[in-house]
Amino acid sequence: MNMQSSRLMSYLIMVVLSVAGVASAMGAENGKCLNCHGSKEIIGKGGERLYVDEAKFAATTHAMIGCTSCHEGVTPGHPQDGFRPPKARCKECHGNIQTEYAQSLHGSKAACSDCHNPHTVKKPLSVSGDDINAQCAKCHDTKKIITSHTKWLPQADLHIDAIPCITCHTGSTNYVITLYIQDRPAKQNHADFKVASYNELTSLVPEGKDVRSLVDKNGDGLISMQELRTFNHEARKKNMRLWGMMTPEVVTHSYQILDNRWDCSFCHASGPKAMQTSYVAFPDKNGTYNRVAVEKGAVLDLLYGTPDFYMMGSTRSTPLNIIGALILVGGLMMPIGHGTFRFLTRKNRKEH
Amino acid sequence: MNHKEYIYLTPMPVRIWHWLNALGIVTLCITGLQIRFPEYVNIFGTYKSAITLHNTAGIVVSISYGLWLFYYMFVAGTLAKLYVPNLEDLKSGIFRQAFFYFFNYFLGRPNPHHSTPDNKFNPMQKAAYLMIMLVLLPLVILSGIVLMNVSPLRELILIVGGIKILVSAHFLIACCFFAFLFVHIYLATLGHSPFAHFKPMWDGWEEVEDHH
Repeated sequence: MNMQSSRLMSYLIMVVLSVAGVASAMGAENGKCLNCHGSKEIIGKGGERLYVDEAKFAATTHAMIGCTSCHEGVTPGHPQDGFRPPKARCKECHGNIQTEYAQSLHGSKAACSDCHNPHTVKKPLSVSGDDINAQCAKCHDTKKIITSHTKWLPQADLHIDAIPCITCHTGSTNYVITLYIQDRPAKQNHADFKVASYNELTSLVPEGKDVRSLVDKNGDGLISMQELRTFNHEARKKNMRLWGMMTPEVVTHSYQILDNRWDCSFCHASGPKAMQTSYVAFPDKNGTYNRVAVEKGAVLDLLYGTPDFYMMGSTRSTPLNIIGALILVGGLMMPIGHGTFRFLTRKNRKEH
Repeated sequence: MNHKEYIYLTPMPVRIWHWLNALGIVTLCITGLQIRFPEYVNIFGTYKSAITLHNTAGIVVSISYGLWLFYYMFVAGTLAKLYVPNLEDLKSGIFRQAFFYFFNYFLGRPNPHHSTPDNKFNPMQKAAYLMIMLVLLPLVILSGIVLMNVSPLRELILIVGGIKILVSAHFLIACCFFAFLFVHIYLATLGHSPFAHFKPMWDGWEEVEDHH
């Protein structure tokens, strides 16, 4: 190891240690607040908004920076002194997002905390498409949304089941197909499919095994076409299926109605090259989702992989196209083949 | 003097049905092509207009098929007689007809089958139309209806093995119809004159060949 790299290494160790130190200090600091705010008893004293679910909070980035970073004005005599600390101001850290959001159609309709609970907030990629839509459904009634989309969107119910609202209503980019394992409530063969919970999936794997092993059999962190086929084959018997949603990798807060999304070909005519990146998202015990990459192209292949996911205009199967073309060629053989002989033997039919 | 004899071979309801169906199926094939290969085929402007036209043509063909079935089963009552090959057809008729098309025709020998209102189709036509009208068309219609209502008919889709099985079946049957169009139009030119078989489908009357 040369001088430069050893210096770099010691610098890295210092950074890690100091972050860990700050985090543990924050943990102690947070602990003081959570002694009261982490107990459900506080709901009876001051309402639901004062309660912080300790486990969910611990999984957020906000836990790292600590309670007092946002709730600055907590007095030493809190809460006995009756002084109410001012509300946290999101824009102090999320200034750009706040500016973008304030200019959007949605800006005057809801505050940050109406959609994002800062004590349970998750990274965009750790949230399921269903969770995102459930957030919107708090204000936007799903039935009304389906009715309003039906005016221009064929099979609006299916679309809304397969696309988070923000895919079309924000300036999102980089779409991928994210597959979720869905199941039906036990013993209800005809109930609606719901995204399977962590506990439901753990009951299906041998003890000590990760839920990801349900699909990623060899545990190499990449789901092959063969692994998808195997899972789908087994899933049918267990009343499960893989449900695909088109989710954006990058989201914005510029809520709007984008003109190019009225055009079906924005998604459907993207051809076999686009939308080839896909993941299977597995629930974690803290309510977040972890993604495992799927072999490129596997999801859009018509014959294998995902029997329940089909995206018109994008899903393809070369073998099927070849069979289709052969059928057409077979049909053309009659006019071409028979027609040639007919032409060559035309003299034989002159007398008729 | 050249005496021509005509028979009323195709009643009006059948003719209306035939041309409505023809228009519907051609529209379905072309819009279907755009729906499946949007980045290569763009005949109807937007993708959505191709889908709307495909769905509309699909509904027209489905209703038209329903009327056809109703007419032949209950009004004319000739479905079984016209479309189901009899024992004789299966034992020798089909082979005789195939032999005519692929051999005797080239030698200038006459067609063994003569159309009458009661026996409109030759044994090969019967077999082909039976397959098309009573197997393939109902299957493509049913799969199309399910594909137009994926969310409400989810259970049905699971029973068939998933949406991909359904789409594959719909696509392959559609290819069969596309291929059939070529064969159908070509075979229609094999009458005693190239347009002899087209005329009765337009005005109902077919000129009877004089074999004396």
